[in-house]
Amino acid sequence: MTDDESGGDGPSTGSVRATYDRIADHFSKTREYAWPEIEEFLDGRSGSVGLDVGCGNGRHTELLADRCDRALGVDLSREMVATARERSRERGFDYGLAQADASSLPVRDGVADLAVFVATLPHLPTREARIGSLDELARVLAPDGRALVSAWSTEHDRFDADEGFDTTVEWTLPGGEAVDRFYHIYDPEEFRRDVGSSGLELEAFEVSSGNCYGVVRSE
Amino acid sequence: MKEDLLDIVCCPLDKHDLELDATEREDGEIVTGTLTCTECGEVYPIEDGIPNLLPPDMRDEAPA
Repeated sequence: MTDDESGGDGPSTGSVRATYDRIADHFSKTREYAWPEIEEFLDGRSGSVGLDVGCGNGRHTELLADRCDRALGVDLSREMVATARERSRERGFDYGLAQADASSLPVRDGVADLAVFVATLPHLPTREARIGSLDELARVLAPDGRALVSAWSTEHDRFDADEGFDTTVEWTLPGGEAVDRFYHIYDPEEFRRDVGSSGLELEAFEVSSGNCYGVVRSE
Repeated sequence: MKEDLLDIVCCPLDKHDLELDATEREDGEIVTGTLTCTECGEVYPIEDGIPNLLPPDMRDEAPA
């Protein structure tokens, strides 16, 4: 089976959105700090416009806002965007926000000098949608722009697989209720291949803390 | 959203410019209004300060 054979019973972009709309508040409280790999990528980089695709509560959009003249965070889930808006106000950050789909970004061509696409690619339900989102990232990156793409990987201790696969991972709400989230778990070779199949060029690659990380530029 | 966001965002479908129609402003931000694509005419709502720039076929999916 190939990973783009997501049938009628498979997860849809809508269900991922509905899940994050439901868990936004709790999810945000457990995602207070930026991941060190993102800080590492951003270290020494700056630009005019920063873009965070799949911004969640905005913890990485804040880092972009520090390093760029302006920053924009987009997320599929309206509740997550609302959480980011509230958090940015509480913490005194000034960046733009919009509800958007990673596969059809409402962002102008070549405008982003610095971008992060972190832990979002695996939520897209088909290989076509995932490569489409990578193509969109390539489109919006400035000629000298760089982005960091991350995806949960088969290298993580909790998975026992050598090849990429589709799964659902539960999020447990404070009351004990579990909500499923769709993931495509990438094997490292597949990650490199999918990035290579898009309009992006992989400049650097590593597996860290069970995640694939790729530093990319537009081809 | 702030008006200068229009330098960065565009129509998610055809990537053309968006035209702002603000109906409610507060502290230099647009709280309520619409963004209309200058090419295809698609209208994107701004509510509670957040523009909804999802493609229209994704906009109506009801949250759980």
